[in-house]
Amino acid sequence: MMSGEVNLKVCDLSHSFEERQVFAPVSFALKGGEAGVVSGANGAGKSTLLRIIAGLLLPKSGTAEILFGEQSLNAEERRSQIGYVAPDLNFYRELTAAENLQFFAEMQGRILTKAEMIEALTHVGLRGRGRDPLRTYSSGMRQRLKYAWVLLQKAPILLLDEPTSNLDAEGTEIVKEIIAEHRSRPETLTLIATNESDELGWGDFTVMLRQTL
Amino acid sequence: MIYVCYGAFFIAQPAKGFNGGAGETARIVFFHVPVAVLSYIAYCVGAWHAISVLRARSKPGLAGRNSDADRKSAAAMELGFVYCILATITGSLFSGAQWNSYWNWDPRQISIVIMLLVYAAYLLLRSALSDRTDRRAELSAVYCLLALVPATFLIWIVPRLPWLMSLHPTEVLAQPKNTSLDYKMVLYPSFIAFFMLFGWMLQLRVRMMRLLSRG
Amino acid sequence: MSGISGKAWRQATFTVFKKEMRTELRSRVSISGIALFAFSALILLTLATATLREAQTIAFSKMLDGMTVEAIAKLRYPAWDWVSKMGLLWILLFFAAFTGLAHTFVQEEEAGTTLVLRMVSPPTAVYAGKLLFNFMLLLAVMVGVTPVYMALTGMVIGSPFVLLSVMLGGCLGLSATATIVAALAAKAKGSGTLFSALGLPLVTVFLLLLLNAASTANTIDPSALRLLRDVGGLYSFAIGVIALSGMLFPYIWEE
Repeated sequence: MMSGEVNLKVCDLSHSFEERQVFAPVSFALKGGEAGVVSGANGAGKSTLLRIIAGLLLPKSGTAEILFGEQSLNAEERRSQIGYVAPDLNFYRELTAAENLQFFAEMQGRILTKAEMIEALTHVGLRGRGRDPLRTYSSGMRQRLKYAWVLLQKAPILLLDEPTSNLDAEGTEIVKEIIAEHRSRPETLTLIATNESDELGWGDFTVMLRQTL
Repeated sequence: MIYVCYGAFFIAQPAKGFNGGAGETARIVFFHVPVAVLSYIAYCVGAWHAISVLRARSKPGLAGRNSDADRKSAAAMELGFVYCILATITGSLFSGAQWNSYWNWDPRQISIVIMLLVYAAYLLLRSALSDRTDRRAELSAVYCLLALVPATFLIWIVPRLPWLMSLHPTEVLAQPKNTSLDYKMVLYPSFIAFFMLFGWMLQLRVRMMRLLSRG
Repeated sequence: MSGISGKAWRQATFTVFKKEMRTELRSRVSISGIALFAFSALILLTLATATLREAQTIAFSKMLDGMTVEAIAKLRYPAWDWVSKMGLLWILLFFAAFTGLAHTFVQEEEAGTTLVLRMVSPPTAVYAGKLLFNFMLLLAVMVGVTPVYMALTGMVIGSPFVLLSVMLGGCLGLSATATIVAALAAKAKGSGTLFSALGLPLVTVFLLLLLNAASTANTIDPSALRLLRDVGGLYSFAIGVIALSGMLFPYIWEE
């Protein structure tokens, strides 16, 4: 397990697809216990920024570092430390909810007990639906299941891209609780990418992404 | 180059050991052998630059070099394709004149035709990726390097498979007594000339690609 | 593979394999696709070579009087030798493999699950798990098709050890090539056409080695050394492709 204080440092980071730059270089830092919000117009590169931080995409210039104490994590190491929720993150439709969760857990060398599974599913309001294949789920239910995995994964870093997309009022409340609970611990940090006016206030500060012309 | 063209027809004495005629057909060796060798060397050049495309990935600062290495790799593969066709044609002409059959399923003929297919597949992949330029460099470099295993087998193993019988007059030419001094005086410069031609064409193609991507 | 222990890697590989098996058992898209292709091709092959069987019957009909029952039974088969029978079987399996083995990667791309798999798995474990799955799939199809093919064409087993090692090596090399090319073609958003067009030139070389090993095995008394060398060539191709793929796969998989 990683030890030491968790820190996220983003330094002069920018990315471009082909020749077009997605966003102007940004720099910010997050300490343990803090939460940040990233906002910006459609196409300003919120999702791209989160993907880079998650180690899923190589930036064209600048750096995004995740530090535990003095130790900087490489792309592969950081993935197990990150709970990631995004609209384009899809689970396996042929598998049931329980099988999906079990698969992710086994990839990290854990076996989930039935009690753990039920607790997580109950938490996100999917109790009793664990044995249904995901293709029978609605988009809101699939979004809830992503949070079930976040709860089970217990990662110190949360990256949430449009955290409440497809969710109803009750689902939004659950997400709010999860974020609040996560923030209450000092060894964690949270980064949210959103344009919803309610959610802009969820962080300690806001990073605005601007497109370059 | 001019020297080689002139020399191939007027300077060199016909090589001995070729039956039928006075060994006049051996003159095609001046063109065929360098071209055939280059069609494999082109692959090596392409693979070499493909490695630097992939190496640049781990260092974000080298993104610019990445696309230049990609151009070099692609240009080498394109030229390899062209040289492969030339080698096939010249080889087939020789075969037709020498053995009265343009195609014998000689192991080297098989090798070069499969190599031709590999080049064609590489170019096909590039054109299929033309709308994904962000991934094209890496994916085509991967395919280029993946062909390393088959290419190694094609160059070193396939021509020596006991199952296939070769008609290639390699041994005939390798014996010193079969070729005269002036024959060698044309053959070796011919290699140099073709290598220089290859280098020049490669450079030209890379510069052309650079200009195209800018415009 | 930096920063991950061998045990964790094996665990991840096996988990990917298990996931593939589970999905496949539910949809059976790959296995039925490959098997259907292989069996239809088998029928087409026998139909297309009907005249070969007739030619053989006519050629032998003059000698019919003195023939044993077994010899007459042989006339039902096309007049190919063992090596060409082996070659045709493999061409059949090649094309069958190139219809179905792309499914594991195309599925991930289409369902948009690559992102989550990249989050939870080291890239080489994805490759190894899928290679294992494709290998087992091809093996299953081969075990089903080969006996039927033998029955239809009268191919004899010969030395069981040689046959087994050639078949296994063939399966390994074919599934290794197909798996890495499938990953590439899936990223290129390519159809099946691109998959086969990219893969077949590479496996053509492999077919040459296969036929070479088969022809050695077919000679009256092959020396053990030659046999070892030719079958070894087959395996070295397969192992070369797997090793190279292991190095190259992360470049395909990561963006």
